[in-house]
Amino acid sequence: MSSQLEQFIPVLMLGAFAVIVTVGMLLLSVVLGRRGRNSRMKNIAYECGMIPIGPSNVRLSVKFYLVAMLFILFDIEVVFLYPWAVIYRELLAEPAMKNVALISMVSFLGILFAGYLYAVKKGAFDWKD
Amino acid sequence: MKGLELIGLEIAVIAAGIAILLLDLWTAKEDKRRLGYAAALLVGVIFLASFAMLFEGRQEAFHGMYVLDEFALFFKRFFLIAALLVLLISVEFADRFESGVAEYYAITLFALAGMMFAASANDFTLLFVSIELVAVCFYVLVSFQRQRDRSLEAGVKYLITGALSGGFLVYGIALIYGTAGTLNFRELASLGPEVLESRLLLLGLLFVFVGLGFKIAVVPFQIWVPDVYQGAPVPTTAFLAAGSKGAGVVLLARLLYTGLRPIADRWGPVLVMLAMLTILYGGLCAIPQRNFRRLMGYSSIVNAGFILLALAAGTADGLAATLFYLAAYLYGVMGAFVVLCLARCPGQEDETCVLAGLHHRSPLLAATLTLAMVSLAGIPPAAGFFGKFQVFKAVIGQGAAFPYPAWALGVAVFGAVVSLYFYLNVVRTVFWSSTSESVAPIRISHATRWAVYLVIFAILWLGILPGAILNLAEYAVHSMGL
Repeated sequence: MSSQLEQFIPVLMLGAFAVIVTVGMLLLSVVLGRRGRNSRMKNIAYECGMIPIGPSNVRLSVKFYLVAMLFILFDIEVVFLYPWAVIYRELLAEPAMKNVALISMVSFLGILFAGYLYAVKKGAFDWKD
Repeated sequence: MKGLELIGLEIAVIAAGIAILLLDLWTAKEDKRRLGYAAALLVGVIFLASFAMLFEGRQEAFHGMYVLDEFALFFKRFFLIAALLVLLISVEFADRFESGVAEYYAITLFALAGMMFAASANDFTLLFVSIELVAVCFYVLVSFQRQRDRSLEAGVKYLITGALSGGFLVYGIALIYGTAGTLNFRELASLGPEVLESRLLLLGLLFVFVGLGFKIAVVPFQIWVPDVYQGAPVPTTAFLAAGSKGAGVVLLARLLYTGLRPIADRWGPVLVMLAMLTILYGGLCAIPQRNFRRLMGYSSIVNAGFILLALAAGTADGLAATLFYLAAYLYGVMGAFVVLCLARCPGQEDETCVLAGLHHRSPLLAATLTLAMVSLAGIPPAAGFFGKFQVFKAVIGQGAAFPYPAWALGVAVFGAVVSLYFYLNVVRTVFWSSTSESVAPIRISHATRWAVYLVIFAILWLGILPGAILNLAEYAVHSMGL
């Protein structure tokens, strides 16, 4: 049991290090930083060093959430499709997996295609109104 | 393709769900009713196909994760019948949805697929995936009436408590895997008692039981039940009461009776205690209820107690009693909810006026509701009587690990007597309450009329000639090797 716990010592050290660094940073900024000096330049939103243009709370169309959902859907599709495509040749070489490889992917794509049809017919890509 | 032919029924259900979703795209708004009937028809066909399933004993697939035996098939048929009746009820209910009628049918079918997977789960992975599939579908189904505050409230409550219990479930599974090194129920059973008796594993089991107890509505995991039953759309409530509870029961039964068979003396007492608490809590809290759906919620808790009591017996008889009790309970619940769905008062959101004077509005529905209540109360010759009888018999002939059988029997009898009061109170309201008789009679469509006939027939059949279903239940239990 003790040897198992000993393996976790580096993890504990990392945790302690993280706590020390964050607390130290905060304390140092209190000690070294000159507080109470606000200027207009200091208070603008941080945009990677660029001077920001326009208001920061831009209103986004609610349609974005549909796009985000569809993106996840098709992103996942690619995630599964890619490794499948890489080993497809090897799968074909095995007689047991020959049909499985194709049918399983086609049925998966078929379900996704049904979802795509559904999205199109329900007007997920229709942004006119 | 080993294994795919075994999950044929589930594949068919999912394909039916997707087909309904796609058909909806080319269906005019006034024809949506047909989609519901199509879904019900497909479920009926799949139910018939389940009898044609090629069968030679017990079959496993996906490295023992999925098992197909008579026990699984019994529950698959149970869920299919439940879904069939729920779909027929929801066709009547559909005009109360603002939108997404076809989606309602499709999600019901997906939930059904989850339950059917649960019936075959022989592994903690499939247990978790199937229970989550059911839960996620129900989160949507419960809050389907988006314009009603009560429905949304019910949805949020169900989501939060469901997610919490899901968290317990995963943590419990992790603890079990950490100690036992396997997720498979069979392999779990083959481990020695020194592994199964370890405290960490027992703690994990307790957590798994939290997740499953939430589904079955066992005290102390029952707080969501009355609010959700009241707020959710009627067909969803019916499906929750029958299907979701059934899924929890089948998972628990499979886990206890295969994986944890060697340590029956550890889980038996816990189950007995919880069963007694559940019966007492549900029975006593049901007495002051005036809302019919809340009453059904508490009735669901009482029945969960009886089911748990039968499971706790730890014998083959106890398991067979569980199956029969569930089958009887299904028709009682469906009878109550089909009436609740049809007998609504136009312009009134609440169901206070549903029951009063129902026998003037529709004698058929009044008779159905009476029969359903009589069955749930456990009065002969209805199905519920024989179910309760089986449970009592199982408690009397319990296994060695059953503490205080006399106390458990006493509590069960007390629960049965108390429930007589509140079920028969409903019957009294239907027939003997003063009401204005100007309320219009209820029109029932043909399909729903057949559903009502099916419920009446099944309640009487199970009550008067229980032999066939009882044999089926015993055969199912036997297939598990008990």
